[in-house]
Amino acid sequence: MSVPRGAIHAKWIVGKVIGTKMQKTAKVRVTRLVLDPYLLKFFNKRKTYFAHDPLQQCVVGDIVLLKALPERRSKHVKHELAEIVFKVGNVIDPITGKPCAGTRFLENLSDSENLTEADTTYLSEKLQELKVRSTDK
Amino acid sequence: MPMKGRFPVRRTLQYLSQGDVVFKSSVKVMTVNYNTAGELSEGARKFVFFNIPQIQYKNPWVQIMLFRNMTPSPFLRFYLDNGEQVLVDVEDKTNKEITEHVKKILGKSKETLEKEEGERKKLSHPATFGPKKYHLRECMCEIEGQVPCPAFVPLPKEMRGKYKAAMKNEA
Repeated sequence: MSVPRGAIHAKWIVGKVIGTKMQKTAKVRVTRLVLDPYLLKFFNKRKTYFAHDPLQQCVVGDIVLLKALPERRSKHVKHELAEIVFKVGNVIDPITGKPCAGTRFLENLSDSENLTEADTTYLSEKLQELKVRSTDK
Repeated sequence: MPMKGRFPVRRTLQYLSQGDVVFKSSVKVMTVNYNTAGELSEGARKFVFFNIPQIQYKNPWVQIMLFRNMTPSPFLRFYLDNGEQVLVDVEDKTNKEITEHVKKILGKSKETLEKEEGERKKLSHPATFGPKKYHLRECMCEIEGQVPCPAFVPLPKEMRGKYKAAMKNEA
């Protein structure tokens, strides 16, 4: 019996995947900042949403972006997976596009394979200057 | 007796309402990635400490998520209603610069805010009186130029019901 329900309130949400034991469904925890009325401080309030994940590509710990479905898929599933923002263990820094872990990059950022002759001479001159300075001290 | 905490002024309603970043209605989620150490992330850390409460107070329906030490560079990311994503690099910026930039790209302009304020004022008429929730004054006795409340100033004899009844009986 389908009761006509109102439109789904949360159109786009970002959350962390906490469970993938259901088939083609991911359990996602979404935190929002809620103001405590007495302390006037914001605290994280968590809520779990179920999202439809047809390719089962979510792993526990991923940060995902969910999009609200036009009508609910089942009693609890009202959202679907739009995009995996950060994959656990494989975080790509969006500014540089390189893989990173914590506060360091995983691969070497400098462009040492594609140096031209002018670059190498310039760099070696700079190195010479540094060497001279260190002997002066 | 001072308030508890490092900068307890952040926890005052006056400070929270001083925030001037009101997002456009298309902004749904705001994500802040920053690092807890490092000079480049200093502005982002100050932004999270001082300005995020103000922004959330003014935009209670925007989801704000904070991620610490996930990537080496600090950035902000906004997810809009039409699926668009806005990436803002905040490396080496002070928190004031970050708020100004965010206000310029995704905040409602002053004119829009004033227009909305005016429209809200139009709905309620300031001359009416009634329950405190909908009107400024609760009783007619509070309005200047009207008869003061008999609880504070006794009514003149002619206005009292018992005098009027006595006069009617006499006549």
